[in-house]
Order: sequence, then structure tokens, then C-alpha cells
Amino acid sequence: MGFVQMDPTKDVDPPEALMKAMEEHIAKAVAAGVFLDGGGLDGGQECTEVRLAGGKVTTTDGPYAEAKEIVGGYSVLEFRDHAEAVEEARRLVELHQQHWPGWEGSVVVRRIWDAPPPQA
Amino acid sequence: MGSDADPVVHARVTAVWRRESTQLVAALVRVTRDVDLAEDLAQDALVAALEQWPDAGIPANPGAWLMTVAKRRAVDTFRRNAALREKTAELGHQMPDGQEAEMPDLDATVDHVEDDVLRLILLTCHPALTPESRTALTLRLVAGLTTAEIARALMVKESAVGQRITRAKRTLAEAGFALDLPVGRERTERLDDVMSVVYLIFNEGYTATAGDAWVRPDLCHEGIRLARMLAALEPRHPDVHGLQALLELQASRLPARTDAAGHPVLLEAQDRARWDQLLRRRGLAALDRALAVARERDLPIGSVTVQAQIAACHARARTAEETDWPRIAGWYDALAASAPGPVVEVNRAVAHGRAFGPQAGMAVLDAVDPAALPGSHLLPSVRGDLLARAGRHREAADSFAEALALTGNEAERTLLTGRREECLRAAGDR
Repeated sequence: MGFVQMDPTKDVDPPEALMKAMEEHIAKAVAAGVFLDGGGLDGGQECTEVRLAGGKVTTTDGPYAEAKEIVGGYSVLEFRDHAEAVEEARRLVELHQQHWPGWEGSVVVRRIWDAPPPQA
Repeated sequence: MGSDADPVVHARVTAVWRRESTQLVAALVRVTRDVDLAEDLAQDALVAALEQWPDAGIPANPGAWLMTVAKRRAVDTFRRNAALREKTAELGHQMPDGQEAEMPDLDATVDHVEDDVLRLILLTCHPALTPESRTALTLRLVAGLTTAEIARALMVKESAVGQRITRAKRTLAEAGFALDLPVGRERTERLDDVMSVVYLIFNEGYTATAGDAWVRPDLCHEGIRLARMLAALEPRHPDVHGLQALLELQASRLPARTDAAGHPVLLEAQDRARWDQLLRRRGLAALDRALAVARERDLPIGSVTVQAQIAACHARARTAEETDWPRIAGWYDALAASAPGPVVEVNRAVAHGRAFGPQAGMAVLDAVDPAALPGSHLLPSVRGDLLARAGRHREAADSFAEALALTGNEAERTLLTGRREECLRAAGDR
């Protein structure tokens, strides 16, 4: 699982070139059999976080409002190990660097928890 | 290789390698027309990466970097061969026409990535090879696994895997394999061979024939990845989508197939909340694609897609009780007609038993010749199940005992022992 996180104060509409490069990149990952699911997430106009803290439910305008950060997209990929997932994240960041001048952000790699492997 | 390298960089180089090796080897096979040489060149490039990247850093496009190094070495090799040819010519042994030291168009390599990979899969599943060799060679060249990883996955000695691969490459060289992508009927037949290998790899992981573990997820994972690859490469063939559907659906149940202690949990007892919903959705979508392509091109669906239909029936049932057994029995009838065999009959017996009662199942089972499944625990364990359902517990216990004597898998043994004891208790209560 990878999240693309970015700073919303910058231009939120990705340039055409990046979209095209991402499309090619994803097509390759599909052909390699590692891409399971993914998509872009809307800029954050309709992004609300409902939170329970200290027994109080609060509603704020977006999960990353305080940190000034939004999630731009996500992908679910399947790799043999963490190193492969990190390599994928590195390429995603480089694609953004190449096709979106001034972009700043990060790709966060998280492992989806699955049931403990059967005992050998 | 690179044992003194920084382990973090080493892990990253390995990750890049796994990601790029298929395309790299595939392109090099096309250019050199020599599997051995192609793999050597690719390995050389990997060694160069291990030497240079720790200091120079990993390049922005590591795949292109590896390809450049490999190409350079290929050119060197061809030059050396050209020199060799000149010397041979001087000695009066003229090379036949058309075998000039013409350099292949190396720069065209990047333009045909999909064709290259498909060609590589068709090659590693070549009919001249035994199924074992096809499996090992596919895992090596297409999945990019090391000999050690393949040995671990297949539970054979590393030296045996090495030999199998060497022999397979020699067979291919001797067979003078054609690198042209087959067309028409031949293409369909070759794809069937490829699908069998992918199915075999997955199946070996899904129900391990040897060892203590019931499933080997790494092999399942490779099988499913290959199936997805194939579906992306050959989207106009309905059954590749059917194969992908089948494997995704079966894999979606993996998390529920064993309990915390690693013991097998049968389909009807599985906690369906633990099924992987993403894989389930992907499997059902792939099945829809298979049917859509078949409809569009007016092609029949093959046995693998029928199996996917059966898997989909299970996937659609929210509870075991909701399972549409009559429909499954119908698909098994179709499967028995298109791909007859004793294993299909045994499964058909289970489906008919569930759909129309144990007697109906027994009728199907009784028609199976035990000699067709020598040494298999399948027949007696299914008979045991049907007998137990019919309330004939003592006979059921005998059947389970018979099955127990035949299984080599520890986890399955535990399950059968449990069922036998259950039957004995039930018989004693009467």
C-alpha cells in the first residue's frame, strides 16, 4: 500500500505530463502482475475527519488539515519484500519530480496486515 | 556476489533486479537468440550494479542502466565472435551466407517489451521441456527467482534445480527453438502450455504435495503474478483471464485456509470475513473479462475458466449455507465433459453430494476406477465424507483410515485423523 502525500498550498492539479507518465508506469506494474488497485484522491474540498479524542467526537475539515497535507492518491501493490516496495515508492517520487516542477511531497509505504503465515 | 557490499544497498539492488530482470532477460534473448548468453549478460549487468551503485548511487532509471551495460557486453561478445569468424575465414572455412557478423538492432529492444516477455514465457514453457523443467525455468527467467529461492519453493535440492535449468537450456539450444511469436492455432496451443505451467506453480503452493505446511504462499504468489502478467500480455484470449480469475479467487481464500496453528480449514468451515476482499473482487472482475472476451470473439471458454466459474460460485456465497451447490454441480458436469479425469470426477462427486444428497455423490464416486488414482488419499477421504453425511459412520471411519495411510502431508493427516475420530465417536453413540 502506498500513499502519495503532498502539500496542498502548492498547485493541486497535476500536470498532464505527470498523468501520462503515471499511466505508463501503472500499465507496466499491471503487466508485471504487482498492481492490485489504486487511484487518485480528490484535492480535499470534500475531505472530513471525524475524530474521537478524550471522549469527545470532533469534526475537522480533512485528516491532514493541521499538518497542511493532503493525500493525492493511493495504490495497492504486491511485492515480495519491503525493499521492493521502497523501490516502487522511490520511482513514484522520481516520476513526480520529473514531471511536476516544484512538487513537494512523499510516498508512504505501509504493509497491509494479513493473517499470520501458517506455521512451518 | 557482493557479500562485502552495504546490506541496505544490496537489498535495493536486489529489489531493482527483481523488478527489471524479466524485461532485461527477455530483450536479451531476442537479441542474442541464446538463453544461456542472455542470462549471463543479465547477470554481468547485475554484478556491475552491485559494484558501482554502492558508490555512485542507484541511477534514476536503473532498468535502462542495466540494459545499457548488458548491451555493451553483448556487443563485446558479438565483436569477439566476429573476430573469431574472421580467423575461421582466413583458415579457409567460409561461413555460410546470412551468418555474417551483422550486429542486431540493439536499440530496438525497448520498443517491444510486451512481445519480449511473452516470447520469453512461451520459450520457458516450450513443449520440448518436461513440466518440471518448464516450472524451474519459468521461475528462474520470468519470475526472476534465484536458484536457491526456487529450490526452497519447490522443496528440492539447489543442485537439482541448477541441473534442471542447465539441462532445460541445453534442450532448448538443441531444439533450435523458434523465437517468432506463434500465430493462430499454434499460439492458442502454446498459451495452453504456458497456462498449465502457471497453474502448476500456483497449485504446488496451494496444496503442497510434500512437507509439513499445507500451503506455500510464496509459490502461490509467483503463480498469481505470472497469471496476471499473462492476462496483460494476451488480453484477447479468454482463458488467460479465466486463469487469472481462478488464481485470484483461490488466493483470496488463503488467509482463511489455515488456522492459527497452521492446520487446514475446509471451505465450508472457513471464516469468510478473512477472505481477501480485494482479491475476491479482482477474481470476479477477471472472470467477467474472460466471458466478455469469449462473447465478443465468439470463442468457447476452456476448462480453466469453468474452474473459475466454480470458484466464483463459492466466492459469491456470503455463508457456506448460501452456496449454490446445484449450480456448482452443473459446472462440474461441464468440466467433466471438457476436461475429463478422475480428479474432476471426485470433485464432481462432492458437488453432487452437496447438491442432491450423499447418495447422488456416491453414485458419481462409485464410477471412478480406484486404479486411476493410485496412492491418492482423495478417493477414500471423499468417500469417508459422503458416508459420514449418509450417517454410515463406521464405514466412514474405515475410509478415513484408508485415506490416512495414503497422505504424505502432515497437516492433512491431522485433519483426517480428526474426522476419523469424529466418525468413531458417532458410531459408538449408536
